[in-house]
Amino acid sequence: MPDLTYTELLYLACGAFLLTGVMVLWRRDLRAVIRLFALQGLALAAVIGVLAAHQGDLELALVGIGVGALRAGLLPYLMARALAAGGEDRETRPLVNVSASLVVAAALAMLAYAISRPLTELAPSPATRAVPVALTVLLVGFFVLVTRRRALSQVVGFLLMDNAITATAFLTTSGVPLVVELGVSLDVLLAILVLYVLTNRIRASFGGTDLDELRELHD
Amino acid sequence: MTGVAGVVLQVLLVAVGSPLLVGVMRQVRARLEGRAGAGLWQPWRDLRKLMRKQAITPAGTGWVFRAAPMVLAGTALVVAAVVPLVTTESPLDGVADLFAVTALLALGSVALALAGLDTGTAFGGMGASREVTVLALVEPTILVSVFALSIPAGSTNLGELVAAAEANWLSLLSPVTLLAAVALAIVSIAESGRIPVDNPATHLELTMIHEAMILEYAGPDLALIEWASAMRLTLLLGLLAGLFAPWGIATAGAGALGLLVAAIVVVVKVTVLGVALAAGEVFMAKLRLFRIPELLAGSFLMALLAVAASYFLV
Amino acid sequence: MRASELLVAAPAGVPLLAAAVYAVFGWTRRTAWLGAVAAALLLAAAVGLAVAVTGKPALTGCWGLLRVDALSAYMLIVIGAVALPAMLAGPGYLADRTGPRAAVLARRYGVFTQLFLAAMALAVLAASLGLVWVAVEATTIVTAFLVGHRHTRKATEAAWKYVVICSVGIGLALLGIVLLYFAALHAGLGEGEGLDLALLAERATALDPGVTRLAVLLLLLGFGTKAGLAPMHAWLPDAHSQAPAPVSALMSGVLLAVAFYAILRVKVVADQALGPQFTRVLLVAAALASLAVAAALLLAQRDFKRLLAYSSIEHMGLLALGAAVGGALALGAVLLHILGHGLAKSALFLGSGHIQRAAGNSRIESVRGLAARAPLLGGAFGVGLLALLGMPPFSLFASELGIARAGFGAGLGWVIVAAFALMLVIVAAVGRHALLMLLGRSSEPGDRTDRVDRGAIPLVAALGVCAVLGITLGPLGDLLGSAAAIATGVAP
Repeated sequence: MPDLTYTELLYLACGAFLLTGVMVLWRRDLRAVIRLFALQGLALAAVIGVLAAHQGDLELALVGIGVGALRAGLLPYLMARALAAGGEDRETRPLVNVSASLVVAAALAMLAYAISRPLTELAPSPATRAVPVALTVLLVGFFVLVTRRRALSQVVGFLLMDNAITATAFLTTSGVPLVVELGVSLDVLLAILVLYVLTNRIRASFGGTDLDELRELHD
Repeated sequence: MTGVAGVVLQVLLVAVGSPLLVGVMRQVRARLEGRAGAGLWQPWRDLRKLMRKQAITPAGTGWVFRAAPMVLAGTALVVAAVVPLVTTESPLDGVADLFAVTALLALGSVALALAGLDTGTAFGGMGASREVTVLALVEPTILVSVFALSIPAGSTNLGELVAAAEANWLSLLSPVTLLAAVALAIVSIAESGRIPVDNPATHLELTMIHEAMILEYAGPDLALIEWASAMRLTLLLGLLAGLFAPWGIATAGAGALGLLVAAIVVVVKVTVLGVALAAGEVFMAKLRLFRIPELLAGSFLMALLAVAASYFLV
Repeated sequence: MRASELLVAAPAGVPLLAAAVYAVFGWTRRTAWLGAVAAALLLAAAVGLAVAVTGKPALTGCWGLLRVDALSAYMLIVIGAVALPAMLAGPGYLADRTGPRAAVLARRYGVFTQLFLAAMALAVLAASLGLVWVAVEATTIVTAFLVGHRHTRKATEAAWKYVVICSVGIGLALLGIVLLYFAALHAGLGEGEGLDLALLAERATALDPGVTRLAVLLLLLGFGTKAGLAPMHAWLPDAHSQAPAPVSALMSGVLLAVAFYAILRVKVVADQALGPQFTRVLLVAAALASLAVAAALLLAQRDFKRLLAYSSIEHMGLLALGAAVGGALALGAVLLHILGHGLAKSALFLGSGHIQRAAGNSRIESVRGLAARAPLLGGAFGVGLLALLGMPPFSLFASELGIARAGFGAGLGWVIVAAFALMLVIVAAVGRHALLMLLGRSSEPGDRTDRVDRGAIPLVAALGVCAVLGITLGPLGDLLGSAAAIATGVAP
């Protein structure tokens, strides 16, 4: 693949990755949030695919397909099922209102840029220059996790962080060793299954998935 | 010489074509909603009827009220001469700066808002306040996204931006351009008062913005405002098309044939965008007024991200 | 496969097999004691490994995925020593559960406790930092079901907070691992070996300081969350107070220590790449914050299981303090403290399970006059609290003394003084609660003392071991020395 095309395609995929990440902050409808998450999974798979095509690495391409299937297929499917089981599908009153959180996201992007300077300086290349994008999504995911009140929104926040970490791994080092990658994917899948079960339990015993209700344990 | 011819051509195109564009958009909406529609020429027929009426102004209004339509139409015409719709070789190239164009368009909006205040009616003031609120959120977004676009090209001159994009179309796929495109598209919709920010077809006091400001106008003044609004919409769509799909715009050295092709291409592009916008409006509800800042904050975020991306993704 | 490779895989493999048996046959009268047998085998394998690696090179197994050195072997002994009494208590805990879902819950309990043991063993066996991460996150997933075992509102709430906070924290550690791997690849390590703990420690000086600093910060934050260090401790009191007593014993006694083991491993690499000052500042901050949080929340504590949980935060703070001091003396004391705390805390959690069952809830005010109603249990509970507060002759006294001495030697006198001032507050708070529970006037006549007292047997045994360790290390001394040498980065 010619270098210029490679760079443009990589950045295009990274741009889609970033855009879907910040759009999660904007949408209140949880169904739309899940769709955005699935799109982000596709963007992540595209990032890996572009890297694989550039390096001519078949194994990396297969890993990319696996990552795409997990993050754009299975996980959104699970979340959609969890959502279908329960009534409320809107994030009605986040702790920080939507306009303010969008502005915060802009600040987080700057922070991510500052943090990732040493990474880019260690090995300047088109791929490492895109690391700030992944770190921005990480911080946005953390922000979603902290400020949103629905159980499912917190799960999405966690998964955004995980997507971002995976993206960082592939952008910096073309992926951690395969054993670790498999273990990590399995752990994430199981963690989501656990949260899925717990969401159902919360709904059964608290009558909703508003995490503000979780306040029986305190000192 | 082709520069002058191109500019004359594009001013004529905008002046004559913009009411037609509004006609097309209304017709598309009508057909999608299952109505027959009034035909493509209805906006021109409306303008003709309004022009024949007597010019009257409400008692108690001053020169601001009378000057506003002229300012609005004047700025729109100047922008039409400057923006690279048909050719990048405008003799006015020196002022074809994206910042200048934004400021000219904002000048028209402010004139109209002042006129709304000048009438002293409840609706006029309400519309003006809402318009200025939207404007205050739109302006920074435009400035920031223009800044983002200008970093790769190294210039804010519209002609150079378009020429650079035309020379290297792959750069259009970069996240910088895409983020800036989304941000500019959202603010263009807000600026031209379309759904989901404003609805040009209603006079509901709870929601109207643009219509509230021009409620007191009648006759030729109203015609001028309607015509200018149509031109502004056309210009914003043309600008978007030029910045993010620059193919076909005549550059230096293009002959008369090049100009003709460029004119046809720009008509097609703007029509396509207009039809898409109209079709989108059918399927979309207008946002509640307090959600509009959210939408605009989102576009501002995208513009900021575009700037950030233009720094680290080089 | 050679015998040594089999031995290396045994600590994780035996509990896995036991989990499979529980999954197939369920929790019956015949399989009920299998868990304890598996724990005993784990302990035996750990002792065997310890003999094999003390003063000798590390053993590897499973295609190089597992490696046992003295530090790993020591941690395996801790896991086995705490798991044995906890698993022995399991059948008693489940015996009085009845109802239609009791069989399902018991089977689940059997499977998940064994998987929990296997994951912890894997975490200390793993040769690669990535695999350590995978195993530590696996403990979160497995214990989530155990924390929410009782299906009550409180248990569900605790499980949710536990999974979300720990998964996010540990996610940061994963990012740290990715960045460390990035730095390692640019330091000349190959693709497959970039996360190998031994190779990383060997080549640490070649790592890029800027990237490593970021990576170490994230790793300490991430594993610190799992180790219950303030300010990422919020999940700990909830999870530990809601889990079944044997699980609380395991979580508090060893899971925190396993997470801390990961911090020790990271610290070896970080100290060589960045100098000791970087991790020292971070760990001192975490230590003092943990002690302060524990002291503040113990003062007005109303729940005795939460009291024990906050005490765990205190002891994790002490471990962080010892690790911050560094050096062979401090790290030896830290490792001894891990074992002593594991034994004492798990014994207390098991005892608290019996007290809770007798009292009907875990509020301190509903337990009065325990010493009179159940002399053995009450006495052992009291003595256990004394051990936890660092009184002689228990090993916690020796290890705290060691940390303090090393701290003054390393020029961290003011930190030690501050820490001990906070510990004085903790002693006063815990002592007051303990006196009320043990000697306070009872309003109702106790009649279930007989059953309650029987639960004190593992408590007494664990405290006995703890006291012996305080007097002499015996054969453990050599192992502790080798393990501390590895943790300081002196030995390979």
